[in-house]
Amino acid sequence: MSRRAASFILGFALALLVGGGLWWWIAGRKESGRGHGAASAAAQAGQKVSFQLFFPADGGAIKAEPRDLQVLDEPKDRIHKILDALLVGPKAAGLVRPFPEGVVVGGVLLGRDGTAYVDLRWPNHEEPPPGGSTEEIQRVYSVVDSVTLNIPQASRVVLLWNGVQRDTFSGHLDLSRPLVPDRSR
Amino acid sequence: MLVAAQGGPAQTPAAPPPAARPSVVLEGREINVPVTLAGNGPMFGLTPLAEALGGTLSTDVSGESVSLKIADKEVVIGQGNAIITVGDAIVSLSQPPVQGEGGLQVPLDFLRKTFGDLLGYSFDWRPETQRLTIARRGTRELPVALDVVHLQGMTTIVLQFPEEPRYKVNRQGSIIQVQMLADRLTPPAPKEIQDPLVQGVTIDPGQIRVQLAEGAQAESYVLEKPFRLVFDVHRTSEVEVPTSPSAPAGRQAGIHTIVIDPGHGGTEVGAIGPSGIQEKELTLQLARELEAKLAQRLPVRVVLTRTEDANLPLDMRTAIANQNKADLFVSIHLNSSLGSGAYGTETYFLSPQATDTRASSSAATENRAAAGSAPATSDAASSANPANPANPADDTQDLQLILWDLAQTHHMTESQRFANMIQGELNEMLKLKDRGVKQAPFRVLMGATMPAVLVELGFISNPDEEKKLKDPAYREQLVDALSRAIAHYKALVENQPQSQPAAPGTAPQATPPAAGTPAPAAKPPAKVGRPA
Repeated sequence: MSRRAASFILGFALALLVGGGLWWWIAGRKESGRGHGAASAAAQAGQKVSFQLFFPADGGAIKAEPRDLQVLDEPKDRIHKILDALLVGPKAAGLVRPFPEGVVVGGVLLGRDGTAYVDLRWPNHEEPPPGGSTEEIQRVYSVVDSVTLNIPQASRVVLLWNGVQRDTFSGHLDLSRPLVPDRSR
Repeated sequence: MLVAAQGGPAQTPAAPPPAARPSVVLEGREINVPVTLAGNGPMFGLTPLAEALGGTLSTDVSGESVSLKIADKEVVIGQGNAIITVGDAIVSLSQPPVQGEGGLQVPLDFLRKTFGDLLGYSFDWRPETQRLTIARRGTRELPVALDVVHLQGMTTIVLQFPEEPRYKVNRQGSIIQVQMLADRLTPPAPKEIQDPLVQGVTIDPGQIRVQLAEGAQAESYVLEKPFRLVFDVHRTSEVEVPTSPSAPAGRQAGIHTIVIDPGHGGTEVGAIGPSGIQEKELTLQLARELEAKLAQRLPVRVVLTRTEDANLPLDMRTAIANQNKADLFVSIHLNSSLGSGAYGTETYFLSPQATDTRASSSAATENRAAAGSAPATSDAASSANPANPANPADDTQDLQLILWDLAQTHHMTESQRFANMIQGELNEMLKLKDRGVKQAPFRVLMGATMPAVLVELGFISNPDEEKKLKDPAYREQLVDALSRAIAHYKALVENQPQSQPAAPGTAPQATPPAAGTPAPAAKPPAKVGRPA
């Protein structure tokens, strides 16, 4: 075999090897991408989980209503979904929504120490709704209890109004410190 | 695998040869300590180290555990057990102490967690030279701040340090000595102490000495972040929380000044009734009527926190009561609820959690920790946690919080007793629905340094009750019930300082009860909401 022919064969083999490797790598990437995408879609869809939402009730009480919500595993997502559902309002008679229509969850943060920061926003309303002490207790603890009694990672709640922590919402409860659930019911 | 070696007599260490035998050097001098090199790290003979560093070893009668006394802490070691106790703390070791050459042998982390933490030694093990170098850590100069406050028959001494000192507390009779083990103190400017329970506190670089008055005793505890060593000093016979309001400095015993707080005001309208009447209007009216009624009935000074429709911050309301050295604080409110069907009266006093020293302190600490752990994008979170650990003003706030807690805790029993009397009078006179005495973390009650309650005189959101509340005759009945409760409480405090708490349902009395009137036990209050 001439030296030239040997070089040609060696170059051809090398090209085959590189091309094959490239094909294998690209195919593998495609496969892996398809697998990852499917898992990602499943993770994004989440799962249906049963929660207890705590709504203000007749007689100045707060009562639980069971609710199935589609949520991710992430505690922060669960808190957000629970509060979204809470603010939309109850389904059962005798229960009422804790805040007026238009109040939304502006953001949720969950600290490593178990403190959930819940920012409620009411566009075009600087102040929280006024009310008596029972009304304020119903509003505040419907949120605190719905978060802390459903999400084990959240043991207390700091409430913010339009992004700012206030001493109180309507002149009674001290909101300058984190609140733990009211288990007295 | 095992290479046991012993140092010879004490000698000045020379530069170690490459294959040097294991050695232990204390403050530049080699000491004779057996060292065993094992797969998990070196083990050191405990007996010679305890002698050299300052510890006393003893073995229990069963021979199963060894006790090492370092300063005032006892370290208990179980042979073959990687868990030891240092004082009350349970400590895990990288490997268990074992019997070896010359007795019990311990790993490096044992030395660091005992002699290191308690006496301030550093232990530097170099595998390449197989040498353990022991040195005293640089002596820290720690500034100490001293506060001594007397409140409600108890003196609180707070010694605050920027970081935890290495110390031990010795007590001998009426002298408490806080001895520094490896740190030096920078004393604050001398402060003259005039206190009925503490004769003096002297701070030297090496120790703090507290001289208690005769008959006084102290309990100590620590608070974290910043580190504070606190002594609560009280008379031996005054350990129990008083059951009647004692007279703080500047106040005479009894009920002489009453502050009435009309809830809300100005832009803070409070609850709004179906007819549009606002809570702030009616609370001011009720407060004025109560002021007039008390002027007729009792020899007391009455102060209203507001006399017009104006905004008044919640903290300012209790500040007014404190500034006036009030003996009672009554915040008047009218209620509203979401949903229908709520009616009746209820009286609140402060949640115990909101007044608990440790809880408050830990809440403040947790707020700071949360601020540190919250994502940086959170403006909200940072505004929620304004406390900055680097800010000395926060330390002052913490101290104020502690002092306020102490004061408020003393008033809790009285607030509950007074709340029970109010509910009792309202029930008896008006036959209203009794929603009971409750506890809640209400902001307006938090700063009061006297018995303080918030009374809800009916639901303005309930059309029937709103109608009644607008009726002057009905309000007259409410005010009469309140004034009777105040008169009853005043008489009880002034005539029966040792009596038991009264209960709801106590029969109303046209005149203050005579001394010796039995007071039934109080019903436990409902707790509504609690701060962490």
